[in-house]
Amino acid sequence: MFRFFGVGLALLASSAAFAQTSGIPPEEMNNTRRLAGDSINVCFDMTSLGRPFDEDVAKAIGDALFLQVNVVEGFGGFPVNGDGFMDELTLAMNNTCDMFMGVSVSANSPFSEAFALTRPYATIPFVLAVTDPEWQSLAEIPKDRKLGTAMSSLGEMNYITWSQQQPEAERWVRFPYADYNKMATRVLDGTIAGMILWQPAMAQLQAERPEAAALRVIANDPLPPASVRVGALVSSRNAFLRSQVDQAIDALAADGTIDALMEKHRYQGNAGE
Amino acid sequence: MKIGLINTLLVASTALVALSTPTFAQGVRENYAPVTAEMLANPPAEDWLMFRGAYNNQGYSALDMINKDTVGDLELAWAWPMAEAGIQETAPLVHDGVMFLQTNNNIVEALDAKTGDLIWQYRHVLPEIPASWSYQANQARRQKNSIALFEDKVILTTVDAKIVVLNAADGKVAWEKQVLDYNLGYSYTVGPLIADGKIISAISGCSIAGTAGGCYILAHDVNTGDELWRFNTIDDPNNPEQQESWGGVPPENRWGGTPWTTGSYDPETNTTFWGIGMPGPYAELIRGSGDGSVLYTNSTLALDVATGELKWYYQHLPRDNWDLDSPFERILVDQEIDGETHKMLISVPGKNGIAFGLDRETGEYLWSKETVVQNVVESIDEDGTVNINEDLVFNAVGEEFLVCTSVSGGKLWQAGAYSPLTETFFVPLTEACNTVAPTQTEFTAGNAVGSVKFGPRVLPEGITDAGLIQALDINPEQAESKWQYRYRPSPTSSVLATAGGLVFGGDAAREIKAWDQETGEVLWSQRLNAPVGGYPMTYALDGEQYLVIPTGYSNSASSISSAFPEIPLPTGSGNSIFVFKLPKADS
Repeated sequence: MFRFFGVGLALLASSAAFAQTSGIPPEEMNNTRRLAGDSINVCFDMTSLGRPFDEDVAKAIGDALFLQVNVVEGFGGFPVNGDGFMDELTLAMNNTCDMFMGVSVSANSPFSEAFALTRPYATIPFVLAVTDPEWQSLAEIPKDRKLGTAMSSLGEMNYITWSQQQPEAERWVRFPYADYNKMATRVLDGTIAGMILWQPAMAQLQAERPEAAALRVIANDPLPPASVRVGALVSSRNAFLRSQVDQAIDALAADGTIDALMEKHRYQGNAGE
Repeated sequence: MKIGLINTLLVASTALVALSTPTFAQGVRENYAPVTAEMLANPPAEDWLMFRGAYNNQGYSALDMINKDTVGDLELAWAWPMAEAGIQETAPLVHDGVMFLQTNNNIVEALDAKTGDLIWQYRHVLPEIPASWSYQANQARRQKNSIALFEDKVILTTVDAKIVVLNAADGKVAWEKQVLDYNLGYSYTVGPLIADGKIISAISGCSIAGTAGGCYILAHDVNTGDELWRFNTIDDPNNPEQQESWGGVPPENRWGGTPWTTGSYDPETNTTFWGIGMPGPYAELIRGSGDGSVLYTNSTLALDVATGELKWYYQHLPRDNWDLDSPFERILVDQEIDGETHKMLISVPGKNGIAFGLDRETGEYLWSKETVVQNVVESIDEDGTVNINEDLVFNAVGEEFLVCTSVSGGKLWQAGAYSPLTETFFVPLTEACNTVAPTQTEFTAGNAVGSVKFGPRVLPEGITDAGLIQALDINPEQAESKWQYRYRPSPTSSVLATAGGLVFGGDAAREIKAWDQETGEVLWSQRLNAPVGGYPMTYALDGEQYLVIPTGYSNSASSISSAFPEIPLPTGSGNSIFVFKLPKADS
């Protein structure tokens, strides 16, 4: 076995090639410039939890910039490992979208340099939900009970990072869930003691499932807090649009527009960063 | 006046019809000779009846008109542009003078194998793909690697999780069957195998949220489409060891285990052999499986074709943390030594490029042999236990390691070939590494997609050639390097071995080469229009041997193209097949 390596030649692969990713044949890419006039195409992940909120924010940004917002259903429905995501995002951003709403803004954002992230327009926390009325915080859940986490989410990473720093006896066993509805079912039937999920998922559960009334949010202690900063993606070539959108987000956060939209959708957290 | 108007309207409507219907002929191949079960078990040398030519997946042809002496005389017989853009992974089949060619989006074409003239085309009608179905759209762009022939039918598996059976004579649908629910994420990306009156197929999409806990190899009756059995690659209630290997993670929280290369089949024991892919999520830190081996990911499975029961399994890479899939072709080899027949299964099953030999009747480990630079497997014990390099197991979110091979291989779907003539296994490989880090990489806020970040592909230190054709001398005791051919571009096609003593394979530099099986000397090469792809094959018709070379868009070429910047890739896909033959006098 070869144990020691250095980087020989850095290769400029533009997209990750996961297990079965197809890549993008050049014919699939439009080489035309959109002549949109006073409108912009704003795309959304169909499967995103924040889809209705993101659309409201996009329209508010459009109003602030005197632009007509064309709502375009972007894409969605990827494997849990992200296989194919960057291909389809590249296609959508090249062929259709001026702006892609609802992306996670963080130092580890996986997007290529072809795309630029706007300022976050909202910061929304992860929460811990349980049914047992005795528990007021994570610390009170017995260590022999199991937890569920929203897979690949910031909340899950937050838990894993904390957990890895504890002796094994101080950790809870955790199962990853890709479907928050299924995870809620497992909390309700007692398979797992609690779940760490994004607060908009909790809001949606309580709006759509009557039995979810039995779920309540308790304190995350001893975990540190975790919140997702939500922003949009624009082409790196369109620095002007990014700058305009950033200014609009600042103004909408300052004048209370985004706070009002968060209240409308029953989101916790705060506007902007 | 009135009659004139009607004539004009008729002309106009005829023109509209002509514009709105495909402009190719929908012909019929009269008197098509059925493919019998006997033919599948003992394929005639002049045909190429399945994925790798025969049930043994050897990718070997007994034809020898094109040989070391004549290969230099090859001439182009005909060429054919394929139906649509997409990654080039086609595996052409030939029977009774007809070539069956599948392209992406499940388009199948029947061509006259002598002239290249189109006989018929089948275009699979997919449901309108909703925006929430992006993974299937992505997979539809791959040119599926294989279809199957049986009796007077062509059998394909589709991106919307159907089995579709066509009449070989005219391409019309005989019957179709919805196998699994594509709305959950299931999608076929590889073709079926016809064995023992059954269609054996394997599903993909097993890393999509909705498919949690179920990834299947299935058998359907070849005549009725009735499901006969299914085997779940990540949840085997009959094997406690398999359940324990997930470290307490319940089946509904498991993903992966996709068998995404068509399996092989041993008619003598009625056993089918399939390779299984990586677990999901990629990193054990995320999937919660601790140091469990997560069976049957990255394993070879031997299944009883009659019942679907597991006969044995062997895991080539336990505890995968780096998306180093091991689903690739399993090759069946018989060798007669001192009067004893040794029945082996050989393979470079995974992206890390390690070759394995197993006893195919018991699954017993025989040998292994490293090929390209890899650092994920520390050692393999004499009993076949694979010990991973635990230094590369992530202990923290964001921890990053340089992992070799890369997520693009090493080895990828491009199949190797075994020549019984020289008892040699030829494998197309790429030298590459990448950084891997489990990290908070949710793309869309709050959405459960993406859990590992991969860096760009890099060459291992001290290596300047990305491409490697490795010839391995095979016997039941060991595999030894017979020769290596290293070159700048990565190999992008499968390889074909023939009784003419040749191995054919192509690369990102658009070149198809023929190597001498014994020495590795290049005896012939031809530059074509695009990277060579898919599965080169050969057939014979009216006393002449033909060589078929697919070309087109190659993700394998583009993912590592900056390793050979002096070789620009074409900006178009150019998906085509080129068919060569010898001048009359030579053949």
